[in-house]
Amino acid sequence: MRSTLFVMLLALVSSVHAADQTLTLGVFPRFSASETTKRYSPLAEHLSKRLGRPINVSTSRDFQSFWRNLGENGYDIVQYNQYHYIRSAKSYQVIAHNKEFGKSTIAGVLYVRKDSGITDLKQLKGARVLFGGGEDAMIGYIAPMYMLLQAGLTKRDFQSHFAVTPMNSVIGVYHRQAEAAGSGDAVIDQPAIRNAINPDELVPLAVSEQLLHLPWAVRRTMPAGLRDAVQAALVDLENSESGREVLKAALLSGIGKAQDRDYDPARKMVRAVLAAH
Amino acid sequence: MRLSLGSKFALTVLVILAVTMAANMLYFFRASAQLQEQQLVERGSALGRLVALVSPEAMLGFDYLLLNDYTREVALRPDVVYAVIVTAEGAPISSSVAGSGSPLKERVGTARGEGILKALESVRDDPDLIGLEFPITHNGSLIGRFLVGLSRESVRGELRAQLLIQALIVTAIVAFLGAAIYAVFRVNVLSPVRRLIAASREVARGEYPVVEVKSSDEFGLLARAFNAMAAEVKEEQAKLHRQANYDALTGLPNRMMAFDRITQEIRRAGRTGGRFAVYFIDLDNFKSINDSLGHAAGDELLVALGKRLQEALRGSDTVARLGGDEFLVLAPDITDELQVKGIAERLLAAISEPLQIAGRRVVAQCSIGIALFPDSADTVEALMVNADEAMYQAKTQSHGSAIFFTEEMSARMRERMRLEEDLEQAIPRGQLELHFQPMVHAGSEAHHGAEVLLRWRHPERGYVAPALFVPVAEASGDIVRIGDWVLEEACRAWAGWRAQGIDPGVIAVNVSRVQFRKRLSTRVAELLAAHGVPPERLELEITESVLLDDHPEVADELARLRALKVRLSLDDFGTGYSSLSYLKRFRFDVLKIDRSFIAGLPESADDVSVVNAIFAMAHGLDLRVVAEGVERRSQLEFIRSRRCEFAQGWLFSKALDAAAYEAYLLGTNAGVRSARLAKEASA
Repeated sequence: MRSTLFVMLLALVSSVHAADQTLTLGVFPRFSASETTKRYSPLAEHLSKRLGRPINVSTSRDFQSFWRNLGENGYDIVQYNQYHYIRSAKSYQVIAHNKEFGKSTIAGVLYVRKDSGITDLKQLKGARVLFGGGEDAMIGYIAPMYMLLQAGLTKRDFQSHFAVTPMNSVIGVYHRQAEAAGSGDAVIDQPAIRNAINPDELVPLAVSEQLLHLPWAVRRTMPAGLRDAVQAALVDLENSESGREVLKAALLSGIGKAQDRDYDPARKMVRAVLAAH
Repeated sequence: MRLSLGSKFALTVLVILAVTMAANMLYFFRASAQLQEQQLVERGSALGRLVALVSPEAMLGFDYLLLNDYTREVALRPDVVYAVIVTAEGAPISSSVAGSGSPLKERVGTARGEGILKALESVRDDPDLIGLEFPITHNGSLIGRFLVGLSRESVRGELRAQLLIQALIVTAIVAFLGAAIYAVFRVNVLSPVRRLIAASREVARGEYPVVEVKSSDEFGLLARAFNAMAAEVKEEQAKLHRQANYDALTGLPNRMMAFDRITQEIRRAGRTGGRFAVYFIDLDNFKSINDSLGHAAGDELLVALGKRLQEALRGSDTVARLGGDEFLVLAPDITDELQVKGIAERLLAAISEPLQIAGRRVVAQCSIGIALFPDSADTVEALMVNADEAMYQAKTQSHGSAIFFTEEMSARMRERMRLEEDLEQAIPRGQLELHFQPMVHAGSEAHHGAEVLLRWRHPERGYVAPALFVPVAEASGDIVRIGDWVLEEACRAWAGWRAQGIDPGVIAVNVSRVQFRKRLSTRVAELLAAHGVPPERLELEITESVLLDDHPEVADELARLRALKVRLSLDDFGTGYSSLSYLKRFRFDVLKIDRSFIAGLPESADDVSVVNAIFAMAHGLDLRVVAEGVERRSQLEFIRSRRCEFAQGWLFSKALDAAAYEAYLLGTNAGVRSARLAKEASA
């Protein structure tokens, strides 16, 4: 009886404490910290109003520090990539996904120059492959690597190089710094790419299956009501003028609901690639 | 185009200032251009070094977007044409081109990727481009290069603007300095120079202003020098005026001043209807005074007589010395001829008053010719000529007379002028001819030769006497041409007779004093050579008047004639000065006694005495004598008794024309001729 009361009191205290607690929104370092703060602060404010709780945007200098914070359950709400989610799914529950350029999915692509003469993945044997992002980049590395592996190549069959972002990998191939670039299918249409290179000189050598876009997740310890409220607030953004402004600031066209099994295709690729390491 | 001193100076100053300022401006412009270019390069270098410094991480991380940010930021700089990052192998991996805004940028265009290198190559030699290159290294290894193209266009544009501003400033400075310097020059140089120019013009007009000396500088010195020069010129001018218008010896007005005064008097009298008289005064026998007392005494006499003439006249009268012993008096405001005569008498009296010259008492006399305006002439020249003519008429009368110019004189002058005109045509019209007055040996009466006489057969007047036309020819100078013709014709006649085998003997040709001045010896030598006349067969008869001329010249010409071996004869001896000193000084072969002395022989005791004296003197001087005008046998006997060598005259033959003389030679003197020819042939 005494112990039950203690648990109840503890739950009450925790509940009261949670109601007063500020939520931390972690965003993976897709952009620079200042850019991230600039783009996600409106969204945090919006959520804060909807949830009636203050929300801080937490940025990371690099993926290592982001990953460390994630491992320490430092974020209440987190926006990261599919690989991050798959690796952190024990602690975080996916509730939504990004819609970018009007699409809810994205595919990994291996680009080559049109004049390279490469028309088959096997021709990349001995070639330089420039992946967009590090080895935890879902679209820039895991999906392209998965296609290479599927084509019968091993990691030793080509030289792996890593650009900072998928866009940089595409630019690198354009400048003949590598024979193939691991990137996403939407990258080639980015204004930054069109300003930097002539995309018509590039051609996709292989395209992966479509993967649900970047996930939004919350701590699994988050109360269900709050979790649902967060999900509702995110999904509801595209339904209001103010919400669309928030999305536009975050370079998003919308946020849709998501659940864990939506990321099984990505999970399959991650397993295959990690197995090849 | 003639530029004034001020314009030249202003132009020179402007050119110097403009060149100096332009050189200065050019120097600073170049320095500014270098500085601006240097600054441009430094800015470019700073950017380049910065990009090279930050790029390795992005390159190694394949962060092309970041590299693009770098190049884009650099390319946004105003003077940057392009910013390109290439790998160590030269492959472009990031480039930004400012595609517009200048011709150079537009040439580079919007090329990207590999095309950028071609675009850079196309503008590499563009003078507006400064290409910089910065190595990008990582851990000491070259991983790429950053290429920056800088454009000089904006620098040049800025420089052009600066140049324009500076040019405007320089122009303003040049204009200001030029105006200021010109103003100073005008005050300190031009004004004094203009004052001196104005003063010089006044000097040229015969005025002698004093230029005000305002400063002590070079212009002050110049003004002082000018004033001194003007004073000197004024003095010289006065001196020249004196020399030009006044006789140096007597201080009286000279011929020029006399002409001027007469001219003025003609104008005045013409306006007022007045009359005036011109007196032409010539001293009688002045030469003898000069010869006997010396030139200094002659000069003293002239000075004294000039003073006397002045003293004898009114203040309004002018006494001038025309030259030699000639004076002129201009007496204005004449009322009647009695007044004129009165003045003439005063003049004659003043001249004839005895004087003490060189310690001797001298009584001078003069002849005066008077011409009245407007009665006898109305021009200066005519008045002078008329007065001169009247004076010559006075000379022909008794000494110390004054004669008015008359209508008769005027007629005589006109007659003389007509004669002169006719004489001028006498040779071409063949009116002159030679006659020959035979000369014989006084002892044997054998033929000796002939004196050549000139005859003028005038178509209207018949034979004109030499005494009439020779003075006219001498006065006009025609005597030289006529005398030359006579000499040549005489030589030609002699040669013609000689060619016919006739011995014409000696030909004696009269020579005028005027001919003598024209290198007679040269002409004689030519004629002797041309006609083959032996010089000893030509005798030149010279009157004493020839010897009155300048002695050294006469002596030289006589010496040249003697050197030719022609015979020299002193003609009309006894009628002129008959100075024994001439005979001593000049060497003659023959002396001819004038017919006037022969005419009275042997009855006139005076003539006998004179002729005896002449014979004694001639023989004493080893001269042979020719007696002229022998008409009677008693005269011949007399001169024979005085051992006279030759004679001529009507007793032997009158003067003959050429044909008659040729007949005379053939007939009367054949024996002599034959003997002489035989002698010459054997020689």
